[in-house]
Amino acid sequence: MTAQRPTALIAEDEPLLRESLEQQLSLVWPQLAVVARARNGREAIEHFDAHHPDVCFLDVHMPGVTGIEAARHIGHRAHLVFVTAYDQYAVQAFAQGVLDYLVKPVDAARLAQTAARLQERLRTAMAAVNTEVLLQQLAMTLQRQTASAPLRWIRASVGQTVTLIPVLDIDFLRAEEKYTVVAWHEAGGTLREAVIRMPLKELAAQLDETQFAQVHRSVIVNLNSIARVVRGSNETADVHLKGRAEVLPVSRSYLHLFRQM
Amino acid sequence: MLGWPRVRVALLASTVIGLIASPSFVLPFYVVVSRAVVVGFAALLAFGLFERWPARLPRWFARWVLQVLAIVLAIPLGVYLAYWLTTGGHPQLGAVSGRWQGYIELTVTGILFAPWIAVGALVRQRDTFAREQETAFALERSELARRALDARFRLLQAQVEPHFLFNTLANVQALVEAGAPQAAKVLKSLIAYLRAALPQLHETVTTLDQELELVRAYLELMQMRMPDRLIFEMRVDATLLKLQCPPMTVLTLVENAVRHGIDPSETGGTIVIEVRLESSRCLASVTDTGVGLNVTGRGLGTGLASLRERLQLAFGAEAQLALSEVVPHGVRAEVSFPARKTQP
Repeated sequence: MTAQRPTALIAEDEPLLRESLEQQLSLVWPQLAVVARARNGREAIEHFDAHHPDVCFLDVHMPGVTGIEAARHIGHRAHLVFVTAYDQYAVQAFAQGVLDYLVKPVDAARLAQTAARLQERLRTAMAAVNTEVLLQQLAMTLQRQTASAPLRWIRASVGQTVTLIPVLDIDFLRAEEKYTVVAWHEAGGTLREAVIRMPLKELAAQLDETQFAQVHRSVIVNLNSIARVVRGSNETADVHLKGRAEVLPVSRSYLHLFRQM
Repeated sequence: MLGWPRVRVALLASTVIGLIASPSFVLPFYVVVSRAVVVGFAALLAFGLFERWPARLPRWFARWVLQVLAIVLAIPLGVYLAYWLTTGGHPQLGAVSGRWQGYIELTVTGILFAPWIAVGALVRQRDTFAREQETAFALERSELARRALDARFRLLQAQVEPHFLFNTLANVQALVEAGAPQAAKVLKSLIAYLRAALPQLHETVTTLDQELELVRAYLELMQMRMPDRLIFEMRVDATLLKLQCPPMTVLTLVENAVRHGIDPSETGGTIVIEVRLESSRCLASVTDTGVGLNVTGRGLGTGLASLRERLQLAFGAEAQLALSEVVPHGVRAEVSFPARKTQP
């Protein structure tokens, strides 16, 4: 060990925690030289490429590029230790897999254990575990956590400003060539309309199916906004809306939606 | 169409009528009664059939009229059927003495009584319908009350955000271990934040200065955690501090700005909180210069959606929450609600 001290990188966006981890490491593993400190995932990748440290301590949640994404860049070129405050999913995945992890606030005894394990691996020149599959799964889990919720707001330009329209307040959506007309009511009952660039088909995929129904090739209606459905001749129907004069068509292929009504 | 309650009424009415009529017949009473029951069922069948069929009626033609007419027509047929059944298929109305007279008598009695029973049933039906609707309204009201409770529950749940708590505690620990004099002040902010956040379950209305104190405690904690990335500014008219403010209104906007605007940004940004009075409405806005809406996309909204629900339950249509984008990047969120002084 005299020839070369082991090196480490610490990636943590909160400065106090970054300093604290370095301080704690100096107590349990005095030989370790912290050669790089990163404030986000992007810096972590840059510093890794510049210094090639033996060990990387990566906070899972960092602005921009996350710790998981940085870890995928590093791969098995270094021993990885993840640091997280509270992430059920992440901790579960870490515990199941072979990944080392620390939970914030970092416990000194736990850190000492981790340091001992890392020292052992470095001494026996054991290769870092290949974690690509596990990390990929983890990255997907974290992404799904934020992306799985149904659409709640739609962005629309109204005059000079970009407004967010609450999806629940939308009465109906109507396709007009490449655009979509969004008709909604404000809390006070004022009726509003805006044109957005996203095509109806793309929007439809993101809406809550129990709330919105497509009644026509170019019309999606909020079921809560329907006042009544009037059957017409020749297998069609008209949807009348609460507090609105517009009457929306129901085409033959969507009529089954109202059969039981 | 032929539920047991209806069958029961038809059976009872026709039996009673049959028994009353039987002394004027020479026949045994059970024959008269069974004839009356057959007639009763014929009337019931007509009533039930024309209740549904045809599906559409002209506007000027009420269904109950159709049903009563159908009963009147069904009775002579029913009486004929009754004679046919009780004579083994040979009614011989003209031939046997008294039979023709009996036929007429039973028909007239039926036509006298059956429509009234039918009308009675229709009136009862309407009453039941009204009662059902009343129950539905009551259900809807209790549903609203449940939603109000739900919203308050979620409010409390949302506050105890473990990620925030443990990260903040890790910072406090770091300060304590380093022996930093800051530690005491930060701990004070955390206590203020927790104390303000927790008793909210009991209070539905707080004052604006309580709310802003909470906001300040939260922002000070966040500033300790990201000193290089967060700047905040509060512009509040001091005369407004005693106004009512639904709990966690401004805080939800600020938390949202930190979580979805500042935290995802490598360079951070500024949060400006502004509260002012405009034509007896309280306007509170939170503007951040964070990453804006592009990056956070769909994650945005859990807190805001629940705030919207809370405002709606507290003020109905009188409260508004609007979001807009800030140039070059960032989000501006504004709530407005009627300005009310707290009771002294």
